[in-house]
Amino acid sequence: MREIIILGRGGQGAQTAGNQLAQAFYAEGKFVQTFATYGGARRGTPVTSSIRVDDKPVRRRCNIERASAMLCFDGSLLDANFLRNVDSETVIVVNTAKGRDAFDALGDYRIVTVNGAEIARRFDMGKVVNSALLGAFVATLDQPGIKTMCGVIEQTAPAKKQQNIAACQYAYDQARGAI
Amino acid sequence: MHGNANGLLLSGNHAVAHGVRLARPDVIPVYPITPQTPILEKITELQAEGQIAAELLTPESEHSAMSACISASLTGARVFTATSSQGLLLMHELLHYASGARASIVMCNVNRTPAAPWGFWPDQLDSLAQRDTGWIQLYSETPQESLDSVIQAFRVAETARIPVMISHDAFYVSHAVEPVDVPSQSLVDEFLPAFRSDIRLDTEIGRSFGAPNDQANWNRSRRELDASMQTVNDLVIDAGRDWGALTGRSYGPLEFYRTEDAEVVIVTMGSMCGTVRDAVDEMRDKGVAVGMLKVRLFRPLPVAALREALAGVPCALVLDRNYSPGTGGVLHQELKSALYGLAGAPRLHGLLTGVGGVNVAPGRIEQLVSEFSGKEPVVGPVWVE
Repeated sequence: MREIIILGRGGQGAQTAGNQLAQAFYAEGKFVQTFATYGGARRGTPVTSSIRVDDKPVRRRCNIERASAMLCFDGSLLDANFLRNVDSETVIVVNTAKGRDAFDALGDYRIVTVNGAEIARRFDMGKVVNSALLGAFVATLDQPGIKTMCGVIEQTAPAKKQQNIAACQYAYDQARGAI
Repeated sequence: MHGNANGLLLSGNHAVAHGVRLARPDVIPVYPITPQTPILEKITELQAEGQIAAELLTPESEHSAMSACISASLTGARVFTATSSQGLLLMHELLHYASGARASIVMCNVNRTPAAPWGFWPDQLDSLAQRDTGWIQLYSETPQESLDSVIQAFRVAETARIPVMISHDAFYVSHAVEPVDVPSQSLVDEFLPAFRSDIRLDTEIGRSFGAPNDQANWNRSRRELDASMQTVNDLVIDAGRDWGALTGRSYGPLEFYRTEDAEVVIVTMGSMCGTVRDAVDEMRDKGVAVGMLKVRLFRPLPVAALREALAGVPCALVLDRNYSPGTGGVLHQELKSALYGLAGAPRLHGLLTGVGGVNVAPGRIEQLVSEFSGKEPVVGPVWVE
């Protein structure tokens, strides 16, 4: 079973991104379970979206203790509390304008950075970064495919579908180049 | 492929909303509260699209929402509502009223920690604290079960004339998005025909509910409620079997998972059952004779079936995701009472596991089995994490 955590702040779209990623896995024939937990129903508080992917129905209903991959919407959230759930094998994709070396002090982690805000601006998306982040994230995973991911975004994005798809594809290509 | 080509990816809360749509209620009074709100939002959306024909009422509080449910139900209508935690606690007075007035309301409660301190976490104390209000209580493990149970609950509520509360855990079920089979309207119509109670407030009939009564009549009302409560176990069995014949998914008051020859049986309710299934499989692979007894129907508690199931089992571990101050876990308390005087009763351990929503993973459950199955139980509550 593959276990993934998406970490963000309320209002950033981490929960939506979790649902979209789960839909992409589901579209490729996997069983999925995704759930979000949040401390307060208001913008700015930490939100965690957990995704499990398996070849058989997912039955366990508990937190992910050791994620195989993590997508972090805000680098300032990467502290000891959340890093408990990863190890040195976990690929962590971080949305940040900073370089990779800004995260060296955290320890020995496999961190890939993506500048979601810059990509969102490039595609006239304002502050909406989740499609770009999903593109970069999918680039670090063997599944789901980018075509499936973009297909889900096309179905589910509430507005600016083409810009969302373009941002996803752009971030995917950029991250592929960086890996 | 996952073999669930017809399944939609739905959260537990949205699955409930689809169950409500399929049950064709007449009136839905509802007030929002985290983490129930997606039920209200989806019902509102489906109603705006014309997929739900019910009259939707959004009064100023849960107290008023339940008041409206009772009034609407007593006109003979099919009524649904949903709430959570503080909202359920605010309804408390009316919960007694609803069962006393024999209102066939169906409600979904999302189990969430009651304040203080403030929290949004999965914990079943909110609904367990309503155990004496005269509502039938079902606990659901999965979004699929929540959808299926809403539809079955209307049949049970309307036959027994007792309201039904279906509870599912915050986040682990309410916000868990996973494949859910949404049955067709014609299938549900076959299972659950339209309802119009013949005992109702109706100017053509002339009847009143809830008028002041003398002691003898009040006493009689509770004897009648008791008699009806005693029919509920069989109604839940029949509804679960008939639903299974139509959908392939059967349900009962209890469910047994790998309990044949089990020397340790884990007893629990709600979302933790799924985690226990994984733990049981892992322990069975290591040769540990362990199984799970899932309590789906908590009120009325299936006492006879519990006694039959646990007689001769050497050890049972009750995992309670709730804490009743001064006693301990509510399910543990209920099990002790149910098994009282039973020959060959198991050593019954009550473990406060996951209170306040703290994480309980399969590995932790394995540790608990290994730590407690050889021990003698203690009387007081045992806190574990």
